[in-house]
Amino acid sequence: MVGTQDALLAQMRRGTLQYCVLSLLADEERYGFDLVRRLAEMDGMVTSEGTIYPLLSRLRRDGLVESNWQESPSGPPRRYYRLTERGRSALDGFRLEWRRFRDAVDHFVERTESK
Amino acid sequence: MSTSADKLVEDYLDRLERELADFPSARRRELVQEISEHIAEARAGLESENEAEIRNLLDRMGDPADIAAEARGQTPETAPAAAPVERRSGALDVAALILLLIGGLVIPVIGWLVGVVLLWISSAWTARQKLLGTLVVPGGLALPAGLLLVAGSESSCYQSPIPAARDHIICSSGGNSGQIVGSIVVALLTAASIATIVYLGRRMGRNAEVATA
Repeated sequence: MVGTQDALLAQMRRGTLQYCVLSLLADEERYGFDLVRRLAEMDGMVTSEGTIYPLLSRLRRDGLVESNWQESPSGPPRRYYRLTERGRSALDGFRLEWRRFRDAVDHFVERTESK
Repeated sequence: MSTSADKLVEDYLDRLERELADFPSARRRELVQEISEHIAEARAGLESENEAEIRNLLDRMGDPADIAAEARGQTPETAPAAAPVERRSGALDVAALILLLIGGLVIPVIGWLVGVVLLWISSAWTARQKLLGTLVVPGGLALPAGLLLVAGSESSCYQSPIPAARDHIICSSGGNSGQIVGSIVVALLTAASIATIVYLGRRMGRNAEVATA
């Protein structure tokens, strides 16, 4: 049971992570390290930081984000990511669905817990 | 910069490189470069760089095999499940096929009509397949069965009054040739009706596969 629960949590995390990335990019562009650090700061969101990079690469190939290189104050140039129009509408769509889903699950899970 | 820390990072990146061996070189190089820059930036942020700190940092980066799996985008446990296939060819679709075939026998006309409605509201078939299911054969098996009944009532059968020949039921109808043609029509309608349902049943599974492919 614990095994399947772990697998389920891993799947939920994996499925929602890309929208967390899109959300982080909703208001400003960020570079990889910054994105990863913000995601990792939140407990329970990212188990291995390295897996964010393949995700970013996929989001770029899917046209949800775009990137460009910018000089950094220290060290080599950084690749900055920003949301595309497609990424923005994907994020908006997910937000609606997520709220509905979250409320529905809360409705049952929270209620039974309090009894 | 401590050399043992450098060695740890170097080993880590080598392992990542090996895990990504089957990737196009451009993608592999890009990913290794990004991970390597991330590590460099994280190292720069460390207050004191010792072996334990570097090991922690690499642990947080994750197993190179996990990163490669993520890059392939298909870790086994997250591959799209086969569940939608079953849901598409659901109980209602099966009910549609059963009612189309024998619904008219159970409740004349209405049983078959319910089957037609279920057929058309289902997403398991294309419009052409639905049309086929409706027109071949209207009424399903009830049509040949009905014809048989009508033919039966037109011909008259009686049992021989002679006790010795009581086993023989003697029938007379509109002639032998008419009986043969009637039998062929009934047989054809029965076969066509069953064949259509079998075809739709097979299509149901295949359409679902295509839709999820």
